[in-house]
Amino acid sequence: MFVLGLEAPEIASSVRAGQFVNLGWAGGPLLRRPFSVYRADGDHIEVVLKAVGAGTAQLLGMELGDRVSCLGPLGRGFELAGRSAVLVSGGLGVAPMPLVVRDARTSGMEVTWVHGARTAAELCAEAEGDTLIWATDDGSQGFHGTAVAAAPDGDVVVACGPNRMLAAVAERWPHAQVAVETYMGCGTGVCLGCAVPLRRGGYDRACKEGPVYHAADIDWSALPSHLAYAVGA
Amino acid sequence: MNADLSVDIRGMRLRGPVLAASGTFGYGTEVPLLERRALGAMVSKGIFLRAREGTAPPRIVETPGGMLNAIGLQGPGVEALIRDFAPSWAEWDFPVLVNINGESSSEYGELAARLDGVPGVAGFEINISCPNVEQGGLYFGNDPRAAAAVTEAVRRRTKLPVWVKLTPMVSDIGVIARAVEGAGADALCAINTFVGMSIDLNAYKPRLSFRTGGLSGPAIRPLAVHLAHQAARAVRIPVIGIGGITRAEDALEFLVAGCAAVQVGTATFVNPKAIADVHDGIAAFLEAKGFSALTDLPRYLPRD
Repeated sequence: MFVLGLEAPEIASSVRAGQFVNLGWAGGPLLRRPFSVYRADGDHIEVVLKAVGAGTAQLLGMELGDRVSCLGPLGRGFELAGRSAVLVSGGLGVAPMPLVVRDARTSGMEVTWVHGARTAAELCAEAEGDTLIWATDDGSQGFHGTAVAAAPDGDVVVACGPNRMLAAVAERWPHAQVAVETYMGCGTGVCLGCAVPLRRGGYDRACKEGPVYHAADIDWSALPSHLAYAVGA
Repeated sequence: MNADLSVDIRGMRLRGPVLAASGTFGYGTEVPLLERRALGAMVSKGIFLRAREGTAPPRIVETPGGMLNAIGLQGPGVEALIRDFAPSWAEWDFPVLVNINGESSSEYGELAARLDGVPGVAGFEINISCPNVEQGGLYFGNDPRAAAAVTEAVRRRTKLPVWVKLTPMVSDIGVIARAVEGAGADALCAINTFVGMSIDLNAYKPRLSFRTGGLSGPAIRPLAVHLAHQAARAVRIPVIGIGGITRAEDALEFLVAGCAAVQVGTATFVNPKAIADVHDGIAAFLEAKGFSALTDLPRYLPRD
């Protein structure tokens, strides 16, 4: 997992936990790529990424001072109010969590962060909160099992990770706030490409009404779980 | 400085030649990030008489230099459009045309009749790339008689400008172009997306839930320039070029190839200011070449 820092003063000063930016860069793919804002400080924001395809490889190959077009902050973030917040993340689902910790603490909440991955090597090294719980599928670090199984209850449950994990979150905490992953086109609400199927019927837009939803509002059986950006040559 | 970029589409005066393509600007009001400064006109997201949910996700997938989409014409239906969006259009300093869709010629006609006279509605763009339910799902746009019938059905119900958006999925676009010109179209928009498919090699099935989608973006530009040129050669009414325009040079290719104006679509997804950028780039090109007006731009348009 890599952290990319961007100088983006307006976004840094206004972004809320769960919001994202849409990045485009010269020589990159046609469509922008969405990233949750990981941290924001002063004039800078950070995003996290994994080397998965040609696009991320280009981002990781950038030098200090290279320019990226950054659109944001986009979407609707988490609503954090209550006495305690339980954060459940899996894999790259760590992305919105540092800002959740920041905003939850600003609201005076006690924060428990549960982070899960397949193995200890894939766990995020950076985590914060009053209580930290690690979970690995293979038991190589912390709780042997999923982050959802390892997590305690809280006034507010916030989750981000693969859609399969979020469906499990929805089973245990229907009131949880989850940040979903969808294939995204414009990020600004116009293309209707990031449709999220709703339990009450119909769709809305992950980039506009989301990406944060109440877990019980989503029709998990109709939300694709496997997302791969297909580009190539 | 300040070349005159205004164009005349059969009596409809536009302040610039760069228009927003249907489905890429929403209804113009609900997407605050989009830049409206240099818009010649906006074509609304496609509308049916009744609300439509749209297709299940995944609805889009990126392909080399382009994207496939199968949104399924999700929309609120004509009454919500009239109530929620048209009032804003009436205040704007550029015209808004409504992209209309139907399952039969009479549905298109009903839509035109309902929208005719609504303040804010300046004209129609007929999407003929819809299946004709009354004829076993054959596409209106593939058949010159069906394309002409839809155009006539709309023409009879309105005095507002009627544009027809042509599909590229035909063997001779000139035949369709002449058929809809004969049926009373004021202008043609060429072209709509190409039908394409992308396969997920992990799941052994199409990436889009709808299986196929419309291909747009720079990948289709040379195909689109050719088809728009062929349409322009076939008719006397103006042709508005569409297909993969991202930069001013792309738009100028369509204009030189015989188009009166252009629509920018997918580029707006990437750059919310794309239309303004293309507009400004055309002005800069004309000035650099010493033309004082877009009407002075040389055209390559030998007549058939």
